[in-house]
Amino acid sequence: MPRARSLERWQGWLFVAPALVFVAVFVLAPLGQLVAMSLTDRSLLGGGKFVGFENYLRIWRDSGFWRALLFTGKYTLVLTPILMGLGFALALLTVDNTPLKRITRTIVFLPVVIGLSSSSLLWFWLLDEQVGLFNKLLVDLHLIREPIVWFVTADLAFWAVVISITWKVVGFGMVLFVSGIQSINPDILEAAVMDGAGYWSRVRLIILPLSRRVLLLTTLVSAIGSILAFDQFYIMTSGGPRGQTFTAVYWIYQNSFVSFRLGYGAALSIVLTLIILIFSTTQIAIAARTAET
Amino acid sequence: MFKRLAFCALASALAGPVFAAPALADTMTMWVRASGANAAAHLVDLWNSTHPDKIELTTIPDNEMVTKLATGVQAGEVPDLVSFDLIYMPDFMKAGFLVDLTADLKANPNYASVAQAYKDIATYEGKLYGAGFTPDVSILVWNKDLFKKAGLDPEKPPRTISEIHEDAKKIRALGADTYGFYFSGACPGCNIFTTSPMMVAAGSKILPANGADDALTGDGVRQVLETFKEMWSEGLVPKSAQADNGANFTAMFKTGKIGIQGTGGFLLSELKHDVPDLNFGVTFLPGVQEGQVSSFVGGDVVAIPVGSKHVPLAKQFIAWELTDEAQLDGLAKNNILPSRPALADNKYFAADPRVVVTAKALGVGYVPWVYHFADMVNSDSSPWINMLQRAIFDGDVDGAIKEGREKMKAIAAE
Repeated sequence: MPRARSLERWQGWLFVAPALVFVAVFVLAPLGQLVAMSLTDRSLLGGGKFVGFENYLRIWRDSGFWRALLFTGKYTLVLTPILMGLGFALALLTVDNTPLKRITRTIVFLPVVIGLSSSSLLWFWLLDEQVGLFNKLLVDLHLIREPIVWFVTADLAFWAVVISITWKVVGFGMVLFVSGIQSINPDILEAAVMDGAGYWSRVRLIILPLSRRVLLLTTLVSAIGSILAFDQFYIMTSGGPRGQTFTAVYWIYQNSFVSFRLGYGAALSIVLTLIILIFSTTQIAIAARTAET
Repeated sequence: MFKRLAFCALASALAGPVFAAPALADTMTMWVRASGANAAAHLVDLWNSTHPDKIELTTIPDNEMVTKLATGVQAGEVPDLVSFDLIYMPDFMKAGFLVDLTADLKANPNYASVAQAYKDIATYEGKLYGAGFTPDVSILVWNKDLFKKAGLDPEKPPRTISEIHEDAKKIRALGADTYGFYFSGACPGCNIFTTSPMMVAAGSKILPANGADDALTGDGVRQVLETFKEMWSEGLVPKSAQADNGANFTAMFKTGKIGIQGTGGFLLSELKHDVPDLNFGVTFLPGVQEGQVSSFVGGDVVAIPVGSKHVPLAKQFIAWELTDEAQLDGLAKNNILPSRPALADNKYFAADPRVVVTAKALGVGYVPWVYHFADMVNSDSSPWINMLQRAIFDGDVDGAIKEGREKMKAIAAE
């Protein structure tokens, strides 16, 4: 019996071996390299003396990084509820499988499959004050009197990106929510109807609680996506005006590849990784606790 | 098998210069950054059609050139030739990425007449590491039709920055959507190219070469910034300029609603192609007093990365690209400037004096020899762009210069 068990254990390891090797080669090894690099003053142009924790101390004094991190936090806090709320609302509206609703879902989902860079470029020109159709639409609807120069202040630029990203990814949350709502046992909803529960009561007391897992997943995916934001700001705002819309990842890119400071960039990446790790662990823990109660 | 192949390769490499047998034609690889790709292709095509050894050209996105070359050199995976933004020359030479070309270039009679700016930027500790390849240079363009409408002499461009200001006022008076002047207010690169030469013409030095060196010296910086600030606050510049990160750098002048603008030589062929009816003139970028002129010499240099597998052949190519044949039939014929300003008056440019002026601007131009150019100037959070924006849009000229000076020196000291 013990022999059979140990054989079983070996078999188990054998089965997961490919995945382990994959993780070791493509995740752990580069991560180790990153940690090692973060302890040197390596430049893109070569060199790389061991400097201990000098880079980490430097992060502490780097007001640019903290500003970028704060901005990233604001972006995440604003964008995530918008994506969640809108995604859930759209899912409620399109959850039945009628042809019209299916087409609507497809249309809303379509931007998700466009590349983020392409969609950012598209919006960059849509928002242009000379030729941008978005400005023209707002003027024609008499919402604004003359075209707005969107990227002239940090606030406007921020909202411009939020609008474009909402358009781009709201369909993703919607599809997840639709699958979550559709997997709710119809008997429960039917029973609620029999008991005289109105539409909003069903949404509030049945659909929402039973979609909690999907809600957690979507929040996590969307929040981490926002924390790692780069392309949209790189293309639409270039970090401007005056460096007010640098995100954390953009700051890492800027240091590593524009200023050639690979060692420092590596240290920044490690710090960001830790921040995301703490953030997602907390989020999962909170969600798990509320799921139990 | 491998050994034999290696031996053959070695033998042919050694024998190559002796026999120069056409049967042993080689293929070299060359990287070029995207902005220089069109010009480089003309030269490479000409070389390929006249030489048994061929060059294969690969275009690298502008932003990725430094990363690719740096990682390539460290991994031993480099092309035989590389054409890149000349501004990275000091960084690359210092890092030891490039092959020393001193003996070859000094012995080359054509090299003597290459624009001084190209010689300066490719010199490190007395040695030469590259040659001018596909130049670009900044100039001032003015819209002659708008000048005429505004009652100005269309053949008399502004000769000082205050004349730019005066002319811009009159052109702005023409009406709602006609503006006197344009610059891309959120584009660091565009402004080092077109605005800094005005300061340099007025006697200022912009960037420090090291921590002990001075930055933003002289009164030219302040005078140019003051003038730009006034033009901005008087509404002579379109509002969109403040947010333009370079996307509209060339587009605005093409609309025919801009009176005067600093731009690059590349705009000429674009204007002639896209808006053939636009009646414009070209002159040097002016300074504060009449007679002061300058320009920023940009474009690409060509060099041989360490690790190149065809160094002798690559050197032959560099020698060839400096010949009259390559400069005229490869570049000038295709509306591209030769890197030898003396060739500005040639049969291809004769039809359009504006191109001749542009080609001559190379001779009066400067290029800053500094490390960390990207940090000091090109990056979106650089002290250079911060200074311009704070001075012009916030109106705090003196504070902006002071802050810019401190930050530039801190970067140069790294």
